Amino acid sequence: MSAVSDRNDGHEELRKAVRAFLKNASPSSEVRRLMATAEGYDPEVWRRLADELGLVGLIVPERFGGAGAGAAELAVVMAEMGRTLLCSPYLSSAVLAPAVLLESGDEAACAALLPGIADGSALATLAVAEDNADIRDFDAIRTTARADGDRHLLHGTKERVSDGCTAGLLLTVARTDKGLSLFAAEPEGAEREPLPVLDPTRKLARVGFDGTPARLIGAEGAAAAVLGRALDLGTVALAAEQTGGAERCLELSVEYAKTREQFGRPIGAFQAIKHKCAELLHEVESAKAAAQDAARLWSDPTTGEQGLAASVAGAYCSEAYVHAAAETIQIHGGIGFTWEHDAHLYLRRARSSALLLGSTSWHLERVAEDIGLVPTA
Amino acid sequence: MPSATAQDTGTPSARRAHWSVRLAEFLDAHAGRPPRDKTERLAWARAFHAELQETGLAAPGWPTEAGGMGLDLADQIAYHQQMTAVRAPKHPCGLSFIVAPTLIKHGTAEQKKRFLRPLLRADEFWCQGFSEPDAGSDLTSLTTRAERAGDEYIVNGQKLWTTMAHLADWMFALIRTGPAGPGGAGISYLLIPMKSRGITVRPLKDISGGTHFSEVYFDDVRVPVENLVGEEHGGWAIARTSLGHERATAFLSDEFRFRRVVNELHRLAKTSGAANDPLVRQDLARIEASVRVLASNSRRALDAVLQGRDPGPAASVNRLVRAEFDQRLHEVALRVLGPDAVLGQREPTAPEGGRWTYGYLMSRSSTIGAGTAEIQRNTIAERVLGLPSGRKQA
Ligand SMILES: Cc1cc2nc3c(=O)[nH]c(=O)nc-3n(C[C@H](O)[C@H](O)[C@H](O)COP(=O)(O)OP(=O)(O)OC[C@H]3O[C@@H](n4cnc5c(N)ncnc54)[C@H](O)[C@@H]3O)c2cc1C
Repeated sequence: MSAVSDRNDGHEELRKAVRAFLKNASPSSEVRRLMATAEGYDPEVWRRLADELGLVGLIVPERFGGAGAGAAELAVVMAEMGRTLLCSPYLSSAVLAPAVLLESGDEAACAALLPGIADGSALATLAVAEDNADIRDFDAIRTTARADGDRHLLHGTKERVSDGCTAGLLLTVARTDKGLSLFAAEPEGAEREPLPVLDPTRKLARVGFDGTPARLIGAEGAAAAVLGRALDLGTVALAAEQTGGAERCLELSVEYAKTREQFGRPIGAFQAIKHKCAELLHEVESAKAAAQDAARLWSDPTTGEQGLAASVAGAYCSEAYVHAAAETIQIHGGIGFTWEHDAHLYLRRARSSALLLGSTSWHLERVAEDIGLVPTA
Repeated sequence: MPSATAQDTGTPSARRAHWSVRLAEFLDAHAGRPPRDKTERLAWARAFHAELQETGLAAPGWPTEAGGMGLDLADQIAYHQQMTAVRAPKHPCGLSFIVAPTLIKHGTAEQKKRFLRPLLRADEFWCQGFSEPDAGSDLTSLTTRAERAGDEYIVNGQKLWTTMAHLADWMFALIRTGPAGPGGAGISYLLIPMKSRGITVRPLKDISGGTHFSEVYFDDVRVPVENLVGEEHGGWAIARTSLGHERATAFLSDEFRFRRVVNELHRLAKTSGAANDPLVRQDLARIEASVRVLASNSRRALDAVLQGRDPGPAASVNRLVRAEFDQRLHEVALRVLGPDAVLGQREPTAPEGGRWTYGYLMSRSSTIGAGTAEIQRNTIAERVLGLPSGRKQA
């Protein structure tokens, strides 16, 4: 969209490079091919994202082999990936996993694990949610960890783990006597099962631990705050991805409204369609603003509003994307309801993303809480 | 026809008691748990409707001459309530009830005799061949054409989005027989056997990955002239025939269904604990309010019809409101499901077999399928509010 663009020159070049790369690497035909595979990503594209573009280690500090970039750059990259529905373990392995390791403050673990993650040779993911509970509902976590010599043994089942079947490193949280703690487990010791899902462009898995050996990361009992921060950064990144997808939906809709003719004129000439497009533009632009704000604030800890901004973006961008994708179907009429048209892939991604790192309800409740609306008992 | 008994029983209330007792007996004997398997379920629904027709308990609103029960509106409402209460199987081909009123009003005696009985019994399925690649909302610009050759028409062209085409025995189609002009000139209403030579049906995958509609190609398809309904070139005017009262009652089954689905959603929200979330609760309350408003609205329209008055604008907005309600309902349902809403139908732990997530995807068509929401708004603005037409002036 050029109508209302906000140029930040440092980011413009990055955006262009990623867009040019994804144009070839992730056309609709590739998305459709990959979504039908078990792995759900193309290892060659992943390698190029790491080696040629240096994007896999984007947020990993240079001392651990990454690019040391901030949330703002991450948001630029995620928005582009969202536009093309790139099928890749980026959110799990390049965002959530490094975020949680870095937040843990465990230098040794970071030194051991981050270089492999940053150069793309190791795939990692973060397994948190259990049962049908929101990923943000830490009280619902019942997986246990029992000390066994210098390691721990995990028991429990994690649900809806992004790229849980392909990851070579499982970062997860479990309860010990001291409370929620972060662990790293090797997938060999876990039971992994792919889940048939609404959005096949992002693979989810069930991961079962039954005496699975794992290593404690960071301080025992200190995982809640670490996890909250990692999920917040994930939310900021996901909000950008949602914005990119919503923007692409708007473009598809506007292109179609200009070319499809009924009653002797382009359907875009009808107010009913015009108004929808105008409304979407407003929402897409607002979503961008929310996502960019959240990314900017992330790198500015003085405000103390990072969580709040992440939740504002999470809630707003989730709803804007679902709305944009649904309207794209509507504006396309019958074509929009077909399997062949990409509109449903965007709707699937949008609807599923809206639940991935905290439901809209959860985010709104956090907003209410952070601005002091929730009475304390 | 067994339905003749309806006339023999004197006063309207005695008559009502009569059919409703028979219907109750019938339902006792025939309704039951639907088979889980899709093919078996279809056969089960077909058998139910064949029996229903046999017993003279099908088509409450149709005139008795057409094989219906000839019930008045109040009785039709009671009939629908009785059917929904036991969750009797729906007729497996809803599209049949789009062609039926046209046949009843405009069909020849031969056509009625030939088609209505197997239609009611679900022995024969129908599909609707209206939309084409370049004629969707603007249906009068359709170009699939028929040329007269002796006592046959030769049909060439293509239809699109034809629901059930791959299962249907017959298509009721709008076909160009003359030059296009204002008011749908040059369009005829033809009944085409789907087994005809020259018809190719190409199923299309829809949003759910399943196949519910198709492309249908016509290559020199020969159709007997006796399959024309109404006048040649007069198809447009009769394509929208309905039996007045049927339209009023068609809402009812929707209504009962919405009520039931909303109740199911409430139950789900309570058992899963989703209702403890104050925000989800607000959404549920909004849905509850909507379903009640929906009901009051159609009660108003029905009351008007029952008193012989014009139901007014409420009836025209009803369909639009329902379509959008269906979408909102499913939006909220996904919020109620919680994170597991992301699971697909093939995942055994998907809540309630994935029906809500599937329904969410399918609900996107309720504002496209039978005339888009925008076109309905245009129609309301033009017909109800008298605003000028958006069509290009010729
Ligand atoms: C699930 C499903 C089942 C269907 N089954 C059948 C069937 O069995 N038989 C059959 O014949 N057809 C069927 N259809 C086709 C359906 O009737 C058409 O899809 C519908 O009429 C819209 O036409 P279109 O798809 O060409 O969209 P278009 O007419 O191209 O519309 C595209 C967009 O432009 C808007 N638009 C167009 N004109 C105007 C205007 N004047 N003012 C404002 N907005 C406008 C529309 O509202 C829509 O948002 C089915 C469709 C679906 C989705």
